[in-house]
Amino acid sequence: MLSVDGLDVHAGPVRLVRDVSFGIGPGERVGLIGESGSGKSLTALSLMGLLPEGVTASGRATLDGDDLVGVPERRLKRLRGREVSMVFQEPMTALNPLMRVGAQVAEVMTLHGRPRAEARERAVHLLGRVRLPRPEQIARAYPHQLSGGQRQRVMLAIALANEPRLLICDEPTTALDVTVQKQMLELIAEVAPALLFITHDLAVVASVCERVVVMYGGRVVESGPIREVFTNPRHRYTEGLLAASRLTPRGTRLPTIKGSVPAAGGFPDGCVFRNRCPHATEACEQEPALTGDGHAFACWHPAG
Amino acid sequence: MPSRAGTPPADSPRDEPSETPPSETPVIEAPALIDAAALIEVAGLNRVYRRPRTSLTRPGEAVHALRDVSLTVRRGERFGIVGESGSGKSTLLRLLCGLDRPTSGSVRFDGREITGLPERGLRFLRENLQIVFQDPMSSLDPRMRVRDLVAEPLVALGLPVGGRVAELLEEVGLPASAADRYPHQFSGGQRQRIAIARALAPKPKVLVADEPVSALDVSVRGQILNLLADLVDELGLTLVFVSHDLAVVRHVCETVAVMSGGEIVETGPVDDVWARPAHPYTRALLEAVPTLEGLL
Amino acid sequence: MTGRMNASLLTGGALVGVVVLAALASFVWTPHDPTLVDAARKLHEPGGGYLLGADKFGRDTFSQLMVGARTTLYVGVVAVGIAALLGTPLGVIAGMTPRGWLSELIMRVNDLVFAFPALLLAVMLGAVYGADTLTAMIAIGVSTVPAFARVARAATLQVMVTDYVLAARAAGRGPGAIATRHVLPNIGSVLIVQASVSFAIAILAEAALSFLGFGTRPPTPSWGRMLQESQELLFSTPRLALWPGLAIAVAVLGFNLLGDGLRDFLDPKLRRIRAER
Repeated sequence: MLSVDGLDVHAGPVRLVRDVSFGIGPGERVGLIGESGSGKSLTALSLMGLLPEGVTASGRATLDGDDLVGVPERRLKRLRGREVSMVFQEPMTALNPLMRVGAQVAEVMTLHGRPRAEARERAVHLLGRVRLPRPEQIARAYPHQLSGGQRQRVMLAIALANEPRLLICDEPTTALDVTVQKQMLELIAEVAPALLFITHDLAVVASVCERVVVMYGGRVVESGPIREVFTNPRHRYTEGLLAASRLTPRGTRLPTIKGSVPAAGGFPDGCVFRNRCPHATEACEQEPALTGDGHAFACWHPAG
Repeated sequence: MPSRAGTPPADSPRDEPSETPPSETPVIEAPALIDAAALIEVAGLNRVYRRPRTSLTRPGEAVHALRDVSLTVRRGERFGIVGESGSGKSTLLRLLCGLDRPTSGSVRFDGREITGLPERGLRFLRENLQIVFQDPMSSLDPRMRVRDLVAEPLVALGLPVGGRVAELLEEVGLPASAADRYPHQFSGGQRQRIAIARALAPKPKVLVADEPVSALDVSVRGQILNLLADLVDELGLTLVFVSHDLAVVRHVCETVAVMSGGEIVETGPVDDVWARPAHPYTRALLEAVPTLEGLL
Repeated sequence: MTGRMNASLLTGGALVGVVVLAALASFVWTPHDPTLVDAARKLHEPGGGYLLGADKFGRDTFSQLMVGARTTLYVGVVAVGIAALLGTPLGVIAGMTPRGWLSELIMRVNDLVFAFPALLLAVMLGAVYGADTLTAMIAIGVSTVPAFARVARAATLQVMVTDYVLAARAAGRGPGAIATRHVLPNIGSVLIVQASVSFAIAILAEAALSFLGFGTRPPTPSWGRMLQESQELLFSTPRLALWPGLAIAVAVLGFNLLGDGLRDFLDPKLRRIRAER
């Protein structure tokens, strides 16, 4: 359904995302994980045509045959919010503080040609669908009267308003408390038609997605079924990340990845991870290809 | 740039409604010192904020950020405080550090009452208790060089700086050349190292860490937690570690206090609380956290 | 500074540079004595050693413009200096004690001064103490204080809620050190921008006052007075109004652009975006 093929994102001379390819089938939930600077958010934004000024995408991405990259804004506008929609990290700033919540949900529908009255009615229905209690009342509330978790549900209702074919979530629960996060994750997994879920949290991705794409330094380093990738990681970065996220008992040292994530444009040639990798050799100066069917990885000295 | 790693909002007092001036001197007398090992003793602490008034006739609504909180941190202990946003953990932390005044109750540090003291009376506290904040992006003044940032507590307390900056940078694993640069030239993990070096500058007895790793990438989190553990061991520090994540607290601390709605709902050895949570809130918290082990 | 030059900054800097150069050069050299009255050269056409011609008293327009630049900058520097030196500390104090009575007092008095028209104040001061450049400057300076105080207070409020101020307090810093070490450096860029905008306003105000006869006294050349004197000849010899008018426009535009450019140049947030790209 969604197919991304050789996606590049540039900011001037700096390549922030390189040769990213993956696909999402109908009803499939795919996680895109990576740390800061991995290019995961830029990848998502380029699918929405929402890249910041001065940042450009090239390559190919299609949603059921409709091109998403390198097409004029006019055509993207029709797709955005209708065929593909997005939920952002920050529920505090993503809503217009001066507009009632119901009107904001209705607006995305009237924008895409639904009559006003019908949109209003459906907005209340949608607020109920994202499990907000007393949706009629919530629809009349202003954003500041809602909690962070409730606001994020409203964002989800807005994203679902036009029954999109693909939902993109960018760290939708990072700003929420853990107890609220759990319900939100369950809700997303339940209502998403097909999902691209972006996060830095391995446990969160494991609780929502079926397949995972691991990014580092703007590249896909490993991808595959989540259980497979997380129990039997092949790329040394995935291996290190998994080890680093397991908290060992008190008094023991935590396994770490040495060094820190380089700034954009500061990743090495060849294998992007080689300057932090304990297994790096001269071979890693050559760029490894992403190989493997189902469970793919790009590493010269794979684990396992 | 791409999203930063997770920054769960601490219950930052910034968002809190305007405060009423706290009553001048706390009324409650702290109980006499029984526990000789006690370093920080908090008794019956309350903090009430008042929302700005919305009506001419009625005063603004009162918000209880802290309700009757009592706890004891012993010398050399690693004490964890766990809670979500709005639990009151940040308010408690500010009171522990003498950055705010309670509505009532007492905070004793090393046997001395710190509530109600004017800033110049808090010198003994500042020398002995230092803080590492959650977000090293915002807790380091962007216009100051690392050298001045690390030396600031020394200068503020009138202590000699000498070669201490280089010494501290080495202690936290940064090159001496870092001193001449500005915070924005460092990655998140390195910035948190700078913040730790700064906190250690006056050789405090107590290090208070407010969510020190929640703004960091997973691959860097381990480095900072290991560094904190090493420093606490080497320097014989008492650690107060605040986090929203009970799993991290379990790795770092021996004792934990779980906060919710401005109260401590459960406290005890962290392994007991982890294995046999007594309060429903603690149970809910533990169940809500997704873990890789549980999911795979 | 790692900021990059932008178009506003360059253009503004160039225009201001021209004015400053003219003012500096006038100390050592002008084509003619700008105050020399010579009936023989009355309304001399441009050319023949008189680049822009002469006025009804036979004074060289170009020389007058050069010396006028001096007056203009002098007025700007003193007026903005008064405003910044008074307004900044007031604003910082008000911003650091947002709920104190002192802050209330400062801001209410501020509102009072703000509500009082600058020109009216200048005319009043002029009437009491005699109209000259100094009273004009003081009047303009005092009425610009509220603008500085407000901007400084707003910026200080923002800085005071940052974690690094909390961290400084936790490190043991007192309010004085926080003001000088943390607040001032971080609100500096905002103040510089405010200064350049106020500079432009001060130049206009001085010109207006001189035009009304409450500013710089003859024979000291001033752009505003040149305009005033050209009034009666506006239709017969429009160039006499054109040149000082153009000079004022250039200086005002220059300082406004400079302020705009500096804001972008000094903004650490914009700088960070640039660095990340």
